[in-house]
Amino acid sequence: MIQANRLVKTLMVVVATASSTACVTSTVQDARQGLTGINEGESVVIMAKSYHLGNETEAKYITCIEDNLARGSKGLRVIPHAEFVDSLFPWFEPRTAPAETKNLAKLMERPGVAEKIAQQGIRYIIWLDGDTEKVAGGGSLSCAAGPGGGGCFGFAWWQKDADYDASVWDLEGLESAGTVSADVSGTSFMPALVIPLPFIARTQAKACKSLANQLHAFIVQEESA
Amino acid sequence: MLAGLAAGCSSSVAFQAPTIPTPLVEKIPMSVGLRMPGNFEHFIHQELVFGREEWSIDLGRSNAALFEQLFSHMFAGVKVLSENDDPNLLPLDALIETSIDAFEFSTPDQSNTEAFAVWIRYRLKVYDREGKLFSEWPVSAYGKSQTTTMGKSQALQRAAVLAMRDAAALMVMKLDEETQISTLINKPATQPAPVSNENDVQTTALEGPTDDSS
Repeated sequence: MIQANRLVKTLMVVVATASSTACVTSTVQDARQGLTGINEGESVVIMAKSYHLGNETEAKYITCIEDNLARGSKGLRVIPHAEFVDSLFPWFEPRTAPAETKNLAKLMERPGVAEKIAQQGIRYIIWLDGDTEKVAGGGSLSCAAGPGGGGCFGFAWWQKDADYDASVWDLEGLESAGTVSADVSGTSFMPALVIPLPFIARTQAKACKSLANQLHAFIVQEESA
Repeated sequence: MLAGLAAGCSSSVAFQAPTIPTPLVEKIPMSVGLRMPGNFEHFIHQELVFGREEWSIDLGRSNAALFEQLFSHMFAGVKVLSENDDPNLLPLDALIETSIDAFEFSTPDQSNTEAFAVWIRYRLKVYDREGKLFSEWPVSAYGKSQTTTMGKSQALQRAAVLAMRDAAALMVMKLDEETQISTLINKPATQPAPVSNENDVQTTALEGPTDDSS
């Protein structure tokens, strides 16, 4: 019994170690259109481009970017996107949100809009576009169980690409400050000889961390790492 | 086993009423009556997705909550009418009657994506003080939500709530322009506007009554 427990623990350690070793490649770029910077008390909000325009950015990715930008002693002040959208209803709904910076001036003239934005100290709106999708996969893995026990046999693999663009709008000048993009590709694989061993590529998590770090540097105008 | 496969699967989703935020618009200074059909208090949509599973979507009183909240934000006065209320006996500038023309949804299997989508088409009929149909507006709304680890039921619910918010946003922006309801403030209509019957038009522009006296 004790030996069985040890075996399970050992396998769990192997699986945990293996899970973090799958291959991920990433490219992060930015294109600046103007000077940036952020003052004490100013904040940012992360939004997804409208699904009315075909965008499919995942809600958990937005939350991930929010968390990463706010994290740490140098973290930015991030207004949760749901709170922002509710406070400015109906002007940032998927149907009504401005698609271009040239629409911002008219939007700010609407009753209450400029005041709500000022109350929350919002300096930048960051619009996310893109998603993570499985682009390839293959192999064969099957599992079976019987009275004497069970197990899996085979090999499976899959590749995911996470491509995201972030457009940064500066509400001080009502203009675009530039864009930051992250393209990440990761291949996961899972060999199984009785017990499957997953080597998972955390593609979306990598895309989140890379984009958030670059966005932070872009906004506070640090030299990118 | 074959019987089990033939019977297929079924999914049931129950909804909490959505919360519509206070819109950043000025209220229309008029008093309206709101008359909703009985099924708005307990709307259930059932659909068999061919070859896959049967869905039962219980919207509860979400539709009723949507219009009650939205119109209370949009108009200076709103009276929700029950079956027994006679609008002619109430001090109203107009009566708005709501209904659902269609409720549709798609699953990730159908769309070959990881998202649920919901389409709702409401119909608003505006009556003047004399009870004459003044204008009519079909409101088409759309919501879409990705599936999450929390399950497909939550994604479908989120898509429906987004569709309701989409309808609310459209009504905040376009209700007066499309129905010209504000022209009914403090005066009875003598000549009703043409009524739109175009079911498939999202925002059908209606010609309002010409009133030279205003």
